[in-house]
Amino acid sequence: MDAHIKKVYVPMTETGFYILLCLRQPSHGYGIVQQVRKMTNEEIVLAPGTMYGSLSKMEKDGLIRCIAEEEKRKIYQITDLGTEVLELELKRIERLYQNAREALS
Amino acid sequence: MTEKKTEFKIFTISQYEKEAAYLRKMHQSGWKIIAIKFPGFYTFEACEPEDVIYQLDYNREGAANKEEYVQMFADCGWCYLFDFVDYSYFSKPAAAFQGTEEKSIFCDDASRLDMMKRIALGRLLPLFVIFACIVLPQFWMQLSDLSRHPVLGMTYIALFVLYCVIFLVYGIRYYTFKKKIGK
Repeated sequence: MDAHIKKVYVPMTETGFYILLCLRQPSHGYGIVQQVRKMTNEEIVLAPGTMYGSLSKMEKDGLIRCIAEEEKRKIYQITDLGTEVLELELKRIERLYQNAREALS
Repeated sequence: MTEKKTEFKIFTISQYEKEAAYLRKMHQSGWKIIAIKFPGFYTFEACEPEDVIYQLDYNREGAANKEEYVQMFADCGWCYLFDFVDYSYFSKPAAAFQGTEEKSIFCDDASRLDMMKRIALGRLLPLFVIFACIVLPQFWMQLSDLSRHPVLGMTYIALFVLYCVIFLVYGIRYYTFKKKIGK
């Protein structure tokens, strides 16, 4: 993983994180929006401008790739690089959580 | 026939949020935007007053892949209106937003900054090329000999100032926003 990817995506936005998390299974943009609504009890509603920008940026950077197109909707899936970035970010969040837990206990 | 009217209003490159707010206010008072034919000329059609949120996006990649781009917005309840000078106009009734949903096509500041970056590259860069290749050399030439072509000279001085103001205003707005969101 080159330095640019690491600099841009670690830490990443909540939108970016949920996109990678959801795309372990193939899905289109709106599918991700619906999944995230469900996962967060309607608390996070991803907006289309943000989604479109993030998806095209991540596709260009090789974190996700388009595997099909269905009724004008691009179906994306995470790549190996995307999985690597997701794991790196997950480790960062875990450390954050653990440190907070220890400090507050 | 439905009543129509055209209003003249100027918004600068960085005032797309103000422009969106203006369109919302017009719709609240019973005037729905139907077209922008020339920069600054907004054509409205009489309608029932309603609180409708308007948003502008600047995404040339989206414009190049129009169908899937518009579909993404439509899925989220946004109606695509039209494009004008590379900006795409969207609307969604305020009543259609649910719960904590933000009344915007963006849900985080990082993507708002991304849009500002796209505008800087797409809009300001071409302006800067014109500035560096035409306005700046002409400005120096005319300044050194102002008495020969006073009108032309003054025009280039005015242009020089105008361009500087545009770059400065956008630059300040960009960096204050960047600083505000801690990027």
